[in-house]
Amino acid sequence: MALAAMEEAHKIIQSIRFTLLSPSELRKLSAVEVQAADTYDEDGVPIVSGLMDGRLGTLEPRQKCKTCGNTASACPGHFGHIELAEPVIHVSFAKLIHRLLSITCRNCGRILLSEEKIEKFKVRHADLKQRLNTVPDAFLDEIIKDAKKAQQCPHCGQKQYPIEHGKPTTFHEIVAEGGAVRLTPSTVRERLERIPDDDLILLGMDPKAARPEWAVLQVMPVPPVSVRPSITLESGIRSEDDLTHKLVDIIRINQKLREALESGVPINIIQELHELLQYHVTTYFDNEVSGLPPARHRSGRALKTLVQRLKGKEGRFRGNLSGKRVDFSARTVVSPDPNLDINEVGVPLDVASRLTIPEKATDYNLEEMKRLIANGPDTYPGSLYIVRPDGRRVRLEFVTDRKVVAEALQPGFIVERHLRDGDIVLFNRQPSLHRMSIMAHRVRVLPYKTFRLNPTVCPPYNADFDGDEMNLHVPQGEEARTEARLLMQVQDQILSPRYGGPIIGAIRDSLTAAFLLTQKSTLLNRADVSKLLAAAGFEGPMPEPAVTKPEEKWTGKQIFSIVMPKGFNFVSKSNLSAYYKCADCDKGVLHDCPYDAFIVVKDGVLEQGVIDKASIGAEKSESLFHRIVKDYGAEEARTFLNAVTKLLDRYMVLRGFTYAFDELEIPPATKEKIAKAIAKAEEKVNEYIDSYRKETLERLPGQSLEESLELYIMNELSRARDVAGEFADQYFQMDNSGVIMSRAGARGSTLNISQMTASVGQQSIRGKRILRGYRGRALSFFKPGDAGAAARGFVYNSYRDGLEPIEFFFHAMGGREGLVDTAVRTQQSGYMQRRLINALEHLRVEYDSTVRDSRGNIIQVRYGEDGVDTAKSDHGKAVNIDRLIERIRLTMKKGVAATKEYVEDEVDKANNTLSPLILNKLRQSLVNAKLPKTAVDETVLEAIENYKRALVEPGEAAGIVSAQSIGEPGTQMTLRTFHFAGVREQNVTLGLPRLIEIVDARKIPSTPNMTVYLDAKHRTSREKAQEVATLLTHATLGDIASSFESDVTRMRIDVKLNPQAMREREITVQDVRDAVKPPNTEVKVEGYHVEIKSKELEIPQFRRLASKLLVHHVKGLPAVRRALVIEEKGEWIVRTEGSSLALAFEVPGVDTSRTVSNNINETAVVLGIEAARNVVIKEALGVLEEQGLDVDVRHVMLVADMMTSSGEVLQVGRHGVSGEKASTLAKAAFEITIPTIVDAAVKGIVDTLRGVAENVIVGQQVPMGTGLIEVSMSMSRKGSK
Amino acid sequence: MVKKQDKEKELSYDVFKHELVPKHILLKPEEAKDVLGRFHIKPFQLPYIKSSDPAARTVGAKPGDIIKVIRRSATAGESDFYRYVVEDF
Repeated sequence: MALAAMEEAHKIIQSIRFTLLSPSELRKLSAVEVQAADTYDEDGVPIVSGLMDGRLGTLEPRQKCKTCGNTASACPGHFGHIELAEPVIHVSFAKLIHRLLSITCRNCGRILLSEEKIEKFKVRHADLKQRLNTVPDAFLDEIIKDAKKAQQCPHCGQKQYPIEHGKPTTFHEIVAEGGAVRLTPSTVRERLERIPDDDLILLGMDPKAARPEWAVLQVMPVPPVSVRPSITLESGIRSEDDLTHKLVDIIRINQKLREALESGVPINIIQELHELLQYHVTTYFDNEVSGLPPARHRSGRALKTLVQRLKGKEGRFRGNLSGKRVDFSARTVVSPDPNLDINEVGVPLDVASRLTIPEKATDYNLEEMKRLIANGPDTYPGSLYIVRPDGRRVRLEFVTDRKVVAEALQPGFIVERHLRDGDIVLFNRQPSLHRMSIMAHRVRVLPYKTFRLNPTVCPPYNADFDGDEMNLHVPQGEEARTEARLLMQVQDQILSPRYGGPIIGAIRDSLTAAFLLTQKSTLLNRADVSKLLAAAGFEGPMPEPAVTKPEEKWTGKQIFSIVMPKGFNFVSKSNLSAYYKCADCDKGVLHDCPYDAFIVVKDGVLEQGVIDKASIGAEKSESLFHRIVKDYGAEEARTFLNAVTKLLDRYMVLRGFTYAFDELEIPPATKEKIAKAIAKAEEKVNEYIDSYRKETLERLPGQSLEESLELYIMNELSRARDVAGEFADQYFQMDNSGVIMSRAGARGSTLNISQMTASVGQQSIRGKRILRGYRGRALSFFKPGDAGAAARGFVYNSYRDGLEPIEFFFHAMGGREGLVDTAVRTQQSGYMQRRLINALEHLRVEYDSTVRDSRGNIIQVRYGEDGVDTAKSDHGKAVNIDRLIERIRLTMKKGVAATKEYVEDEVDKANNTLSPLILNKLRQSLVNAKLPKTAVDETVLEAIENYKRALVEPGEAAGIVSAQSIGEPGTQMTLRTFHFAGVREQNVTLGLPRLIEIVDARKIPSTPNMTVYLDAKHRTSREKAQEVATLLTHATLGDIASSFESDVTRMRIDVKLNPQAMREREITVQDVRDAVKPPNTEVKVEGYHVEIKSKELEIPQFRRLASKLLVHHVKGLPAVRRALVIEEKGEWIVRTEGSSLALAFEVPGVDTSRTVSNNINETAVVLGIEAARNVVIKEALGVLEEQGLDVDVRHVMLVADMMTSSGEVLQVGRHGVSGEKASTLAKAAFEITIPTIVDAAVKGIVDTLRGVAENVIVGQQVPMGTGLIEVSMSMSRKGSK
Repeated sequence: MVKKQDKEKELSYDVFKHELVPKHILLKPEEAKDVLGRFHIKPFQLPYIKSSDPAARTVGAKPGDIIKVIRRSATAGESDFYRYVVEDF
């Protein structure tokens, strides 16, 4: 943009009003009435009054517009108009027109409600408006429903007929005498004209913005040529825009119609022409109307008309307004470089000499700028452009003698110079799922063609180096650069707002190296130590060697300690401890761990323990690195991470590390053991199959015999693989590279190693063994019905030994499922993310720490209920009290322990600042800590200080952060729908599908269930619990019938009951007598015989009765298919499949204070909205936790509060939260573009642009975070100076 | 499946005994005014609760009232929330 334009005062759009254009307004706006259905004549000159008339604006450069006199760059284009010979219905408004026609009088135009009723509705209308500030659609629907019922106009007495809407644009009146009368657009228009303004207001419309008759077009606007430019192909042939084509059609038919009308042609021909005109106008607006064939181009391609231009991902809203293409950006492949600082990015020279930064020449940099100009565009460092103070740009590429230009440089000129080391740029990898996907880096100009980044920043970008490409953007303004530097640099993004822990940290080889370096056995000589210290950037005296004889040696721990900050204390267990199940490590007590798996850092010295993923790894909370970030700040953390990666990288180079094929070899003895273990399992499998054949196999509850067999076999085989793996594992020692990597958390798992060396194991599809393929068998190599291990995809061999062809095929099947799964999952989670973002983007933390939407409506009274920002918290906690006390104990002088009363008094002083949770913890910990008085005072003070520092800042885009925090891990979730929850018999939907279900607020989840707690009498024994379970389980007549005969000739049904089935379900004959009473029948129950005789039933009715009888309710809750009794935490509870809370509460023995359902909507109805909110939180957290994903409650709470803020549970999506958004533009940009805009126009809605999406669309600063702050000057008050 | 409960019917169980349901308190007009003043808002800017909501019915709330909800909070221990009672359509 030219400087002059930049310095022009820019105006801020305050609001946008949506209205309909009236015919008179259209004519007033028009620059020309288009009459000719032509564009250019033979010479290529626009035809006057044609579609390319010069008055419609200009496209050719250096040609002046006939209306405004501007050239193409400044001419905005001007509308023309077409006078239609007959009115035409606008498709988008057809529904509205139909509604209005059906509820207003065909004669007088009034709403078909009596004066009193209208008055009543008006009062309620006003009342609602006053109390709720809006009129809910449900209220308007009520009016419409009421008015539709009228047969006669209460105002003029005219008889009314129902109106039928023939899609897309015809209307018929169903006259009483039979037959439908077509309403021509002119009649429709006349009727709409008669509706009084007052009645429209009652219907929620704004007659000033949109009179309904304006939806029936008499005049069509013709968009300026700049909207529909013609393109000249290379061959010189001119090709017109789709819109122009459509307009040509309209004008042509319009002319024909007019001529026909004037010359008195038969009515049917006129009607035909009119219909054709209607078709063209309709498809001009929307070429995807259902019921109409789309208008096509000569080539057969459907035309892209107005609606198609706006709609969808590539449409105007999403493709050009919400997201735009930008300058000053670059994209190339990324590769790793551990020698870079974590906040640097290596930029190829070619890129650095194409991207520029505008720098103002001053007295201080004049000489340097001159040099850059002299260097020009091709010599680095140089410059591409100079901008003179008058706004003129000089392109240095075209300057012959740059020396002259350089000498003419004066302060105030702007030089657009090459990128150079230290410049701030934004670096990004798509998909940008969270804010750490775009971070600010410092430039390092490097040779070669790839962007280079430190491997420790891979996790936030989710980048690897298998061909990933990343984007780079150069902020051009001083403000932008400052903001990027202050807020977006890598070191400031180490702590993830998702869980309040570091997302950046050592990965892969760095972890292997750390593990090897800090092992007890690692001793280094002087030469190596020197190299390592130099790599870490250490300056100072060599540490004392740990061993002096026979040679000076230093331990690895000593070297690692060098990079840790002084005064740093830390105790934790390592990744290794998970493998050894060391009890002391788990408890966290100081001890000398035999495996060196317990880490102790004292005053910055690593005293014991090996450093691995648990200490310095990425995405590990409460680790050594996490403590450094929290205690020493981002800058120190950056220094630490830099030093560590450099040190470890050098150590890896010195030591060397490979994982070779021969390291996968296992001795014959072990091999034999493995083979035996598998053989034994196979034997067991065959036994199962045998007993299945003999039907002696024990059936698992709720499972068929086949399913039980499969479960048994799968269990057995997976155990076999584990056993095989264990044998392999036992053989491999800590000197095996694979083991080292898996123990350090660098790469691979025990499972990977055992699959490579022992046995690959069972291949599965949809969580089952491979069953599909041929009838009764997976492959034709097996006998049908063979349920053995080999026949259903068990792979005996290891990857090292190689797979048999059949095994290989099964393996490929399993592998394919994995690929498909990933592809489906990314799509689903991407859409969920988009919906979450859209639903929450406008939420912001205000100065009073409430979270509000763009209307100013409160969503949360206090952000996260405690006002704490997760990113500033310590893994979700505002204050880490244990660590605080520990630190104070170490630093403060010892003394007499303060009394309990003193502690409580002191803590009470913080009552108004700290949250109750922290207060309690503080009180408890301080009493236990037995610190002296001064230390207690200090602790309380620091706790308050820490708490205040962890509070959210006003303006924080809380909604976006939460949406990202829930959406981003979605990609990492499994798609595996079913999972066995606790009991193996019960299937519960988990993972991504369940999370989507929760945010969808589905009326019924795919696997509804209840956890039924029992009262004191029933929770103590299995038998008592079973009693309740039987009462809950639904039983039908079919369940307890042993035979069922229906005789149509005698109209009688005989059911024999099965006494055993009845006993199992505790159903008595009397129960059956009470329950089975179908209407119009006579039921006799004698003993175990039920006789149902029909009374006056027709045969079809009788048949229907017979078919329904088997599922006739006898006992239990109809929704509950099964109820299982489980012991949990020392009491017996019932888990049900199927949910019906309200009914369950009526069942004796059920504890109505604890019984819960996973059905959110049901909970809302039975226990209220607050309970529903709690279920949303509980269920969502449960899914995330089960998947091992760390997401802070605060994010889930915000989503739940947003979903429940209307008093009912709304889905995150267009029919719920997003549909309630204040901004028309934001809604249009989300999903239902056209209807949203149409509705806004009809209601005359004003978009006040207070959200995010709408401001992005109009190109303004977003009112969030730094965009919220404005500098204002207080004007002097009267009387003061 | 999920049916609206009979508006007039008394609930056979006490919702407030249930662990999922936090304490709801019907605010007196002056307390309500206080809340609105604290946040500088009109009542409709609060989150809503329907007058048919079991908890709202139990405390006897009518449209136009404001209910204070004392939530058990995972982050703060305890936290206050407010809802504006609205009729349901």
